[in-house]
Amino acid sequence: MNAVELIDFNAYYGSKAVLQNINVEFSPNSITAIIGPSGCGKTTLLRSINRTAEMERGFKSQGDIRVLGKSIKEVRNVSALRRQVGMVYQTPVALPLSIRENVLFGPRYYGVKNRSDLDAITEKSLRQVALWDEVKDRLKRPAAQLSGGQKQRLAIARALAVEPRVLLLDEPCSSLDPASTGLIEDLLTQLAEELCIIIVTHNLFQARRIANETAFIMDGRLIEKAPTQKLFASPDKPETRGFVSGLFG
Amino acid sequence: MKKAIRDKLLLGWFWVSGLLILVILLAIIIYLIWRGGPFINSQFILESPRGFPLGTEGGIFPAIKGTLWLILLALVVSFVPGLLTAIYLSEYGRSGRLAEIINLLVQSMAGIPSIIIGLFVYAFGVVTLGWGISLLAGGLALAIMIFPVIVVSSRDALLAVDENYRLVANSLGVSKSYTLYRVILPRAAAGITAGLLLSLGYAAGATAPIMVTAAAVIASSSGALLEPVMALPYHLYILFNEHLSLNYAYATALVLVSLVLLLNILALLLNSLQERMSKQ
Repeated sequence: MNAVELIDFNAYYGSKAVLQNINVEFSPNSITAIIGPSGCGKTTLLRSINRTAEMERGFKSQGDIRVLGKSIKEVRNVSALRRQVGMVYQTPVALPLSIRENVLFGPRYYGVKNRSDLDAITEKSLRQVALWDEVKDRLKRPAAQLSGGQKQRLAIARALAVEPRVLLLDEPCSSLDPASTGLIEDLLTQLAEELCIIIVTHNLFQARRIANETAFIMDGRLIEKAPTQKLFASPDKPETRGFVSGLFG
Repeated sequence: MKKAIRDKLLLGWFWVSGLLILVILLAIIIYLIWRGGPFINSQFILESPRGFPLGTEGGIFPAIKGTLWLILLALVVSFVPGLLTAIYLSEYGRSGRLAEIINLLVQSMAGIPSIIIGLFVYAFGVVTLGWGISLLAGGLALAIMIFPVIVVSSRDALLAVDENYRLVANSLGVSKSYTLYRVILPRAAAGITAGLLLSLGYAAGATAPIMVTAAAVIASSSGALLEPVMALPYHLYILFNEHLSLNYAYATALVLVSLVLLLNILALLLNSLQERMSKQ
């Protein structure tokens, strides 16, 4: 079963079509990169999957998206869907709470109360993002004191703490230095053993480094999706060839 | 060359405007200290008005107490509905149709002359409901007057909280009330409190709404809801208007201005605290 599947999906802001007739599948336990020129609809696609796009005024959609086989339009409890589909944004955001409470923000809402459970979730999530050793002695300190790269890993830990099955990342490294970027790429590769990861990136090298598959979107249309090696080495479509060789972007 | 001169002229003008405001404010305060300062002593602050005509001797203690009672009551009445309206506008309604209408209503409410609010409460509370001239009626009139101020300042304090927090919370699937309680409200608390203090200062100085609803020339201001109270601005008005004692009028004015200034300075401090917090 595919982790995420878009079927004849169209999205509009007002009368402007941002995504047209998208049919695409994302496999579990793999990383798929979405690339394409600015404003092509990459972020809207990502935000449609966890249904945060619809919070914008004037957003409309047609077609269907299935997460773990279930249509998201039939989901009555959006909260349950968003729990399954974690999201990490471009700007590293630390909630104005302690490091520990950032991780526990979701779990506490979903009713975890037992202290040892909370401790276990904190440690597990922070270990998953290789942040545990750096912060284990200052879990109660404000998360605002962390560096940008650490904040972004904390954001991933916060998303992982509610045990999602899909992780969406919207240009998570675009404001980070190369060292932090490397760290995050490594941990994404590890996380892909358990999760479906979909990452929007402007960085074609990043897509080549970590993605099993890559999808190229232009002007709201899916031009091509293929194993990353193939998409970069011998794309089928001339537009893809132009984009990956840097003719436009 | 010409443009540089124009810039300098403009800058100079800003400076002069700023200085002018500062000079006027200082002039008022210095004048009040000069005329009223010598009459302020423990007797003036802590005793009731005496003498004949009343107010020419003694102090203004019941007026200070009365004003504090009035603004406290106004705050108690308007705080919860004001904050809830602000929360609706910033977190739930946002750019919706209902929020637009509420914003418009709040704006219109802020534009109602305060004497009209006083007359409304007089007709409705004092006469129709039979409260009589009372602390309750005055507190209610002031509550109506500061309600829009509280809504707007609380709304802006909430909207000033980083939008990314809401984005992150939404994508975790948690409810708005949980986010509000754990993140947004703690973050906006300083700004909301600053707005409350400013509105209290505004209420403390208002004369028109209490003139017809609450204020008496002499009263003990015990805090009983259905009894009239003395109030600083009204006492000042009587002293001045009836030529009872100009000295005491200036001293009363100084006390009132000090109270308002104190509230405003506290608000300013809280606002700068909120700004520092939001830059973290």
